[in-house]
Amino acid sequence: MSEIAAKAPARPRRRLIVSRLVPYLLLQALIVIATILGLRLLQPADPDDFALSGFSLREDGVTRPVTLPHFTSSRYSLTDPPLYTGTFTFRSRDAASGWSVYLPRFSNAAEVAVNGIVVLDTRRDANANRPDRNTPQIALIPASLLRDGSNEITVRLFVWGPLKGFLDTVYVGPDAALRPCYETRTLLFVTLPVAFSAWQSILAVILAIMWLMRRREPVYGVLAVAMVLGVVQAFSPPPVPPATVSRLAAVLLASAPIESALIVVFGVLFFGWRWPRYGMLLFVPGLVVFVVGLIAGPPLPRVLFVLIGIPTVGLCLFLMACVTAAAVVRRQDAASFMIGCAVTIVLTCWVHDMLAAFEIMTNERIFVSRLSYSAMLVAIGAGLTWRFARALNQVDSFAGQLVARVREAEERLKASFVREQERARAAALANERTRLMRDLHDGLGGQLVSIVALSERGHEGATITDAARAALKDLRLVIDSMDDIGGDLMLALGSWRERAAMQLRPHDIALDWRVATPQGLPLHPELRPWHVVQIVRILDEAVTNAVKHAQARNIAVTIATLDDGQGPYGVISIADDGKGFALVGEGTSQTARGLRNMRSRAARCGAAFELSSDSSGTFVRLQLPQVFPDSDAATG
Amino acid sequence: MSEQGETGEAITILLVEDDAPTCWRLQDALVKAGYEVRSAGTLGEARQALNDGAPRVLLTDLRLPDGHGIELIREMRQRFPDTEIMVISALGDEESVISAITVGATGYLLKDAFPTDIATTVRDLVAGHSPISASIARFIVRRTQGAAQSSAEPPPGPALNTAKLTPREIDILWGIAKGFSYAEIASHLGLSKQTVPGHIKNIYRKLEVHTRSEAVFEAVQQGLIKL
Repeated sequence: MSEIAAKAPARPRRRLIVSRLVPYLLLQALIVIATILGLRLLQPADPDDFALSGFSLREDGVTRPVTLPHFTSSRYSLTDPPLYTGTFTFRSRDAASGWSVYLPRFSNAAEVAVNGIVVLDTRRDANANRPDRNTPQIALIPASLLRDGSNEITVRLFVWGPLKGFLDTVYVGPDAALRPCYETRTLLFVTLPVAFSAWQSILAVILAIMWLMRRREPVYGVLAVAMVLGVVQAFSPPPVPPATVSRLAAVLLASAPIESALIVVFGVLFFGWRWPRYGMLLFVPGLVVFVVGLIAGPPLPRVLFVLIGIPTVGLCLFLMACVTAAAVVRRQDAASFMIGCAVTIVLTCWVHDMLAAFEIMTNERIFVSRLSYSAMLVAIGAGLTWRFARALNQVDSFAGQLVARVREAEERLKASFVREQERARAAALANERTRLMRDLHDGLGGQLVSIVALSERGHEGATITDAARAALKDLRLVIDSMDDIGGDLMLALGSWRERAAMQLRPHDIALDWRVATPQGLPLHPELRPWHVVQIVRILDEAVTNAVKHAQARNIAVTIATLDDGQGPYGVISIADDGKGFALVGEGTSQTARGLRNMRSRAARCGAAFELSSDSSGTFVRLQLPQVFPDSDAATG
Repeated sequence: MSEQGETGEAITILLVEDDAPTCWRLQDALVKAGYEVRSAGTLGEARQALNDGAPRVLLTDLRLPDGHGIELIREMRQRFPDTEIMVISALGDEESVISAITVGATGYLLKDAFPTDIATTVRDLVAGHSPISASIARFIVRRTQGAAQSSAEPPPGPALNTAKLTPREIDILWGIAKGFSYAEIASHLGLSKQTVPGHIKNIYRKLEVHTRSEAVFEAVQQGLIKL
């Protein structure tokens, strides 16, 4: 059971791998074929009319006839090089444009003499002798050297191992006929690599900057190092034996395996795998070549390079092909397809070069690995730049989405804020209505009821008048308390002073208004209309008592702000010079009820209420809280 | 005893009040104090009464059966600029009083005021002492604060333009709103007690919007309207 269960999901996975890998491999096969065809097409045409193939070769004291192109044995000495001798026919009437000798391909260096006079020595041009490039050479034959009829041409081929020497067909003829072929080869095998190298160096700079700015993406740094190595290899002139600078040779030889190992590192990192620790082994061959090149003199480094450097390059290319194939199976994206195709092309070129080097493929010994590798690097660089640009676009669109989301959220927030505000306003309104109802019920309602009662009982005059007046006064108080006074109780007391003065005037009682401190009372931002109503009602009650029961002649209202170290607080005191009253009454008398009311109102506001009364007058002291309570907690 | 103006004639008052008992009450108080009182119950009657000549003082209720007292005040202000105008109000709430002030009234008289207070108020008015209550002063200074905060939402209540008030006038209004007497205000601000009523008169004049076109002009001047 469990086995079946374990295998069941494995099978579709395998099927998926196969379904993805097979088309990819078929595509790569097509690319291999296309590459081979392309290489065939790339083979530049030579002016066969002027070809010289029949030569006699003197080598190691032995002379024998050979046909060019010809491979000569590998050797490590420059003395007594193989000497090819041939003849060509010159007609003076053809000499209008001047004649040239054209060497399409040779390895490693050649010295050409016409009628015993040297016209070309490629050892003077270091780049022309690189075995990895297919540099052509052309030299104009001075007219004075040419004899009408048969002329002798000799080619000394200097070979430094381990590769065999090679001399392609030699062409001698009118310069006008040879030079276009020479130009074509120069374009392909000299100018194009330089152009690629220049491109590569620019990409190296760009990638190095990317890596410097984004250290956590070493993939850019790895590729930049690989490109720098390639550029150094391409632009540093190779030493010509025997003037060998062995250290430089070591760098040049070691560059190819190290570069290829770096490319594998790049591939692994680029496709999101971790670089395994044992992967460092891939750098060992290149480092060995480098170290040996530093220590030992030629030809050992070169032998080592051929023996382990070139296979390392091949191995790395193969590994890279595997890595990209795995990436294609896993990711199925454009980047892995592109790099995979590029690696296949380079690998094909490498195999092509191997076949050419081992003479299995009898072409004209044209090496194309370097060229295709440079092209691949440029393609990868372009791909990375493309990816970078796409990432920037993604960031842009992400930023755009973010802006849109933030705007949406803002609008939602605004809407909910408006809702919240409306709810709060509605709640405040409801609270206010409740308070208003209570206030009207406490004051106006009772007074109107007593007016009704008084008029029903037929009471005349003064009592009804008083009740109605009280009702009006209370109505004004309620309306007044609704006004926004900004926490300044003094503004409420200002109105109350007017009303109290109006109330006292008919009784001929003087109202003495004293504000002890300039600002009056401290500001209370938390002051609410219902606090104001309670306080003003306490003051009204005190004044009413003084008028009705104490028969006072003077009422003094003192307003002050005190501070005993714990912050300022307001005190309002009302003193009259009436006859006072006894504080024994817990009974039902109007005075006692008024007193109870005053105390409970003060408690609701968090104020301290004191009252003292004797025959010389009554004194009421209302000490306001530092902070008024938020809710009417003492109501119940 | 008869209250007399500068020319020695009795001071005439036009009393416009539709509620008969209130009207009698006020008329009694004023006649007792020696004023010559003509009364009208509607706007139409008031306009008719005006054809006989301008009264020295106009006391008018705001809610009248055939229109609003505000119209009468505005007409009065245009035809007889020398007439002193006061509103008769049951509660003295700013809604009615402030709108009357902006068309030219100076203060209000409570309907249930004691007869002596009624007489005193009118006497002060004729003497050039424009009375102002603490709650009206409070309303005005709160409005000047609101204008300073320049909140986008217009404050609730009647429209009031306080931009022309000087800081001194606003200080005086603050004093009144907090219940200080004229003498106390004068000593606080370093003024002579006699100049305070003059300031209050100026405040009334500055709050008055004379005509519609002037109101528009004012609004443009103060940047309330953009043309």
